[in-house]
Amino acid sequence: MNPVAQAWAYTLARVAGLAGLGVLLGLLLGSVTVGLLVMLSVALTWQLFNLYRLDYWLRARNLREPPNAGGIWGQVITQVVRLHRRKRFHKQRLLDVFRELRHSTAAMPDGVIVLNANNEILWFNRMAMRLLALRRRIDIGIRISNLVREPRFVQFLDKADFSAPLEVPRANRDGLALSFQVVPYGRQQRLLLVRDVSRQVALESMRKDFVANASHELRSPLTVITGYLETLVQDTDIDPMLQGPLGEMRRQSDRMNAIVRDLLELSRLDAGDAEAPYDTIDVAGLLAMLNKDVTARLRHPQVSLVIESPAGLLGDEAEVHSVFANLVENAVKYTPDEGQVSIRWWVDAQGEAHLSVTDTGMGIPAEHIPRLTERFYRVDAGRARTTGGTGLGLAIVKHALEHHGARLHIESEEGVGSTFTCHFPARRVWQGGRQGTIDAAG
Amino acid sequence: METADLSHHISRRFNEDLEHLRGRALAMGGFVESQLAKALTSLYEGDSSLGESVALDDLKVNGMEVSIDEECSRILATRAPAAGDLRVVVAIIKAITDLERIGDEGEKIGLIASRLASMERPENKYREIKHLGRIVSEMVHDALDAFARLDAESALRVARQDRLVDEEYEAIHRQCITFMMEDPRTIRRVLDVMWVVRSLERIGDHAQNICEYVIYMVHGKDVRHTSLEDVERELRAKGSQP
Repeated sequence: MNPVAQAWAYTLARVAGLAGLGVLLGLLLGSVTVGLLVMLSVALTWQLFNLYRLDYWLRARNLREPPNAGGIWGQVITQVVRLHRRKRFHKQRLLDVFRELRHSTAAMPDGVIVLNANNEILWFNRMAMRLLALRRRIDIGIRISNLVREPRFVQFLDKADFSAPLEVPRANRDGLALSFQVVPYGRQQRLLLVRDVSRQVALESMRKDFVANASHELRSPLTVITGYLETLVQDTDIDPMLQGPLGEMRRQSDRMNAIVRDLLELSRLDAGDAEAPYDTIDVAGLLAMLNKDVTARLRHPQVSLVIESPAGLLGDEAEVHSVFANLVENAVKYTPDEGQVSIRWWVDAQGEAHLSVTDTGMGIPAEHIPRLTERFYRVDAGRARTTGGTGLGLAIVKHALEHHGARLHIESEEGVGSTFTCHFPARRVWQGGRQGTIDAAG
Repeated sequence: METADLSHHISRRFNEDLEHLRGRALAMGGFVESQLAKALTSLYEGDSSLGESVALDDLKVNGMEVSIDEECSRILATRAPAAGDLRVVVAIIKAITDLERIGDEGEKIGLIASRLASMERPENKYREIKHLGRIVSEMVHDALDAFARLDAESALRVARQDRLVDEEYEAIHRQCITFMMEDPRTIRRVLDVMWVVRSLERIGDHAQNICEYVIYMVHGKDVRHTSLEDVERELRAKGSQP
């Protein structure tokens, strides 16, 4: 018989026994009812007493020494002890898992902070504590932007656009550059990852400085060489056999000069502010001047200019000139004499301005288009060397456009031609004296 | 620890509006901190355009003060907060005023920096200011941290730093006077330096004020015109009470 049944049997037997005793007592006293009543009261008292012991034991939490009770009470007590033991076991397992987790996150080289939907801190690891000067217990429940108050970070959290990490130079007390990345997960919770990127930032800075310095250093020797070559090429006393090579040397040194000039331009764009100023630029005038320049130098190919809007731009005139000049030069360079280059400037219904330069040149194979704006990228080495150019023109265009919040779009078909289009955002459009939009940043 | 329990208690009672308001005040604090950092950098590195940008951005600081103040008035009028919550709103109203003043001093430093950038730079490149600049920047930062954490102990500690600031200020003043006496040609530049140092000293005062508001928020004590020793004594006594 299983223990439960046994216990019940025991208890019922006792009740029956007591009832029997009751009858006997009743017979002795002359009234069975009275006898039974007495015995039943005894039984009830006994049960109540057991209840009391059970309650007292549970409340005292001294689960090591359960009261001795038989029958059903014993069963209940056993069950309670068992329940408790199971709970303790699971709790211990959870604690072990948690400790493992804590150790592994403490070992992580990045800072990890768990935030809730209101950006309040739920938990953080040791690295986060160190990088952001957080305090172990006090900071739980506090909004992270109340403690990390760098305006760029506060905006970053506000906008909730977590597609890219945010880099902040000199972000904490030690002046470290930190990268913040937010990963939403679970029920509206967010993981904030903080990484010390000081080394990368320093390397990037060294690289930029190197390019700028190297270009600067190359300038003077090149000027000397170019200078001499100019004179030599024009010197009629020189052996005519040398004319050819001298001419070639002169062309190549001119090319080196152009590359250094473009490198310096790129360095300047790199080092400058992220956004260009908002000075007015008369685009129609600029394009007309460019057109005149090009047609004066080359009679072919044909260049047509269509200006559909009198609107201008708000930005850096030199950079915008650079962009337009580069695109037109490229178009003209890669189009045969019989071909056509069309320049078009217009403003659309949303207030965005566009400049497109279309040529009927050899076109660009599709696989090269995404890489065209890389520095020194060549579609094929042969094509470029004959037509000249520094290989940096499109890189400069891309950087300068980014300065203005604008984008470059390239479409091309081999053998047919290419179209390069610049799209300027509405805030950069100058409606001839009035600003394009009221909320142009100041 | 009493402070932690108290701040936990208070922060749990904040409703969303109040939390949002605190967040905005602290965001303004963060912006002002960055303004100060930029102003000092423009001075040390002789970057006049950075100095000018600080001056331009001060408009944003003023705008923030106005709009947060409006929000506070709205909350006072519509929700009639009481006790701890009321202290928080009052403290915010006062703190943003001090923050706006810090912004103004930062603007002054930025403008002077931009002017000094075109002048001859001194031998030690303003080293004396760097030290004071760092102490004051840290004071502002720590004061705002204490505000965010409702940490009165930290606030008290930061408030004490103001004494250091005053000492540095005196020392730099004496140095400047010596320079001017030695070589009158430097007077123009040294005067500008003295203006910068004066601004820094005032920023230190404003940071100390913010600490006092923190103590007020947490303990309900107005310690604005009490000496720090007395404040400490009272707080300790309060802490030891059961």
